Amino acid sequence: MSASRWPARLHLPTFGALLAVVAVWSLLSWRYGAYLLPSPLSVVRGFADIVGSGEVWTHTGASLARILVGFGGAVLVAVLTGLAAFLSRLARGVVHDALAVLNSTSVFVWIVISIIWFGLSNWAPIFTTFMITLPVVASNIVEGVEQVDRRLLEMGDVYRLSGGEKFRAVVIPSTLPYLMAGMKVGFGLALKVSVVAEIFGVTSGIGYIMNYSREILATQMVFVWALVMILVMMLTDKLVFDAVSRRLARWR
Amino acid sequence: MALKLQVAGVGKDYLIPVIDSVAFGVEAGEFVCVLGPNGCGKTTLLRIIGGLEPATRGEVLLDGKPVVAGDAHDRKVGVVFQEDRLLPWMTLAENVALVLKPLGLSPAERRAVARRQLALAGLAGFETYYPGRVSGGMRQRAAIARALAIEPDVLLMDEPFGALDAQNRRIMQNEVRRIWKETGRTILFVTHSIEEAVAIGTTLVMMSARPARIRELITNDGAIPRGELIERLNTMIMEEVERQQGGAPLG
Repeated sequence: MSASRWPARLHLPTFGALLAVVAVWSLLSWRYGAYLLPSPLSVVRGFADIVGSGEVWTHTGASLARILVGFGGAVLVAVLTGLAAFLSRLARGVVHDALAVLNSTSVFVWIVISIIWFGLSNWAPIFTTFMITLPVVASNIVEGVEQVDRRLLEMGDVYRLSGGEKFRAVVIPSTLPYLMAGMKVGFGLALKVSVVAEIFGVTSGIGYIMNYSREILATQMVFVWALVMILVMMLTDKLVFDAVSRRLARWR
Repeated sequence: MALKLQVAGVGKDYLIPVIDSVAFGVEAGEFVCVLGPNGCGKTTLLRIIGGLEPATRGEVLLDGKPVVAGDAHDRKVGVVFQEDRLLPWMTLAENVALVLKPLGLSPAERRAVARRQLALAGLAGFETYYPGRVSGGMRQRAAIARALAIEPDVLLMDEPFGALDAQNRRIMQNEVRRIWKETGRTILFVTHSIEEAVAIGTTLVMMSARPARIRELITNDGAIPRGELIERLNTMIMEEVERQQGGAPLG
């Protein structure tokens, strides 16, 4: 039974493709040299080194801490925005327009502005992360709020549920899946964006150490940290967002 | 005897007059079926009686007190809509227990009432099921259980079985009739099916075409043979449909 399930778990075709990539990678690495393309083996060795020395936790921790503040702040403001959009039609219009503007603003704009405003400090990547993830999460929540079934709210009126009870029983449960979807996309974006912002002005974090590795010509470490990023992303997706979404959808 | 429910000259205009003027009284324990051609304002009338929409003219009195739409109210009116309007993320029992909160019952009492009402509606054993896991007929039963749980002064039902197939519809009609006999509630039931109205109502209110008035009020106590009554009501409805469409009478 478990023997027959293993190939499905590993997703054999993907595994095959991975093998092919590693083979081609090794070949190209051998042809062009370790500076342009370090060998898969050196990347694995580099990964083992940073795990052994604990360096992996220092920089991943620093990046995650910034994301926690920037992205966490964005989620908080997005929830408040959704609340305003729910309570007032006027606010909904303003929020829609504001989000359209924010959604059209490039990451680079916020990086440059944040360096001007906050200098070379932790606040620059935090602010950039905040500004980029806010419209993504807020758009989702606002859409969720607009999808709340008015007929269920009317049912609440019939049975004299208070505003708070209607909010708890109707609005929150119907908006949560949208919030979760927004947070899932937003977190991925936060990781990608904060790492870029870390190239400037800070001395810790995955973005910093990748750029530093490039400067000292340790190309294999650039690949190692890229691998760390990918792992962080996949693990949070599986362990946090998928788990929470499954729990939320247990009534489906 | 004081009337349970009094509909006094109620009218409603949207862009055009939908309900001209409707007046009738309902005594406690009556089972009133409101009939009429499609689009004549039956649902609107029910929503006005339930305080979900304001009337343009006239007023509705429940136990002598005017029903005012939009205000916070202390009415005990159960409404079963065309859709079940259960919260999909709550179990059937939780759905029923939810509406008992404003009545000030303790959590244990709420659970007990929910269990009892679901059993009365034939849903014993399904208390912990989510609405998405049971059939449409069972969802509508749960909606009825919820409406009955608050011990309503009046139970309003707006074509509650419209979405069910013929077999389930028949079963649910019998169920509602049984529940009505067991609980003695006052029920106002909107339907476009004459057979349904004749099968379950004690009083039939036949509405005219838009703008609606009452065309005829019939006591369904068996004095008129069922077949004859159905035939008479069918003739009336066809006349009203023709009037609504503005055409000449057929044949």
